[in-house]
Amino acid sequence: MPTHYYLTLSFVLFLVGTGGVLLRRNAIIVLMGIELQLNAGNLALLAYSRALGDEKGHVFAFIIIALAAAEAAVGLAILVGLFRSRQTVNLDEASLMKR
Amino acid sequence: MEASLGQQLTFWVLAAWVVGGALFTMTRRNPVTAVMSLVGTFFALAAVYASLSAHFLAVLQILVYAGAIMVLFIFVVMILNREEVTPVTARGLITRALGVFAGVYLTRVFVRVVVDSPGSGAPPRVPDSFGTVAAIGQLLFREFLYPFEAISLLLLVAIVGGVVISRSHQKEVAAEIAAERRKAIEEMAHAPYPAPADALAEAAAAPGHQAGGHH
Repeated sequence: MPTHYYLTLSFVLFLVGTGGVLLRRNAIIVLMGIELQLNAGNLALLAYSRALGDEKGHVFAFIIIALAAAEAAVGLAILVGLFRSRQTVNLDEASLMKR
Repeated sequence: MEASLGQQLTFWVLAAWVVGGALFTMTRRNPVTAVMSLVGTFFALAAVYASLSAHFLAVLQILVYAGAIMVLFIFVVMILNREEVTPVTARGLITRALGVFAGVYLTRVFVRVVVDSPGSGAPPRVPDSFGTVAAIGQLLFREFLYPFEAISLLLLVAIVGGVVISRSHQKEVAAEIAAERRKAIEEMAHAPYPAPADALAEAAAAPGHQAGGHH
């Protein structure tokens, strides 16, 4: 398949993820939207890597997957801490740094 | 070189699966349903990676995303499963106008990038070793050794940070209160206070029995 198709798929996936991050208020769903965005970036990297016949894009995608794992671990830990202190995961109610 | 019918069919099915799964994930009210549909989306995405002959990344996607990250998500969802009252908010005219403007701008940038990119035809043929574990490993351990080591450092920091942030502080608070109490008792014990005269006389009469063990 031509690279354009994969790039378009990556763009649509990124848009869906961004919409979730911007519109949803449940912090868990927002984290899932960030994962979708990272995956859209990975897809674009791999599509270009295939189009150019260069494997460096695969290395970048590998690093991004590790980064996503670290982000998910710390982000979910923050959510657990937030829930302990305020009994909510609604982002609108967590706008202050102090309790 | 035109893509074969099988390739086209595979791509369209997978693309519909990915986009549909992502939309389904982002619109669910129940977080458990969202996580499950995200797992399905990631499986389809791994298949898309494989169709780009990125075999190593496809396996890694399933192992890391569908395996590790999603299990983490499910644990957290089950710890704090609260359904939200207002699932979607977009308040204010300015916010919406900015959103529309950003969307239009992003689409314009995307169209320009795709038009300029070298990919309107079929991608060039690549050797069979393209995207295998051996090929990526050669790159990772030769050219990208320092970034690779930096990843391990990042993951270590993430582990320690996750543990520290999500730790319960109840024990520490209890320990602080206990320490304060001990200190207060200590101060009271060492504070000079007027003793009754007969108690002093008794201690002087019987030396070494009671007073010896305390100080």
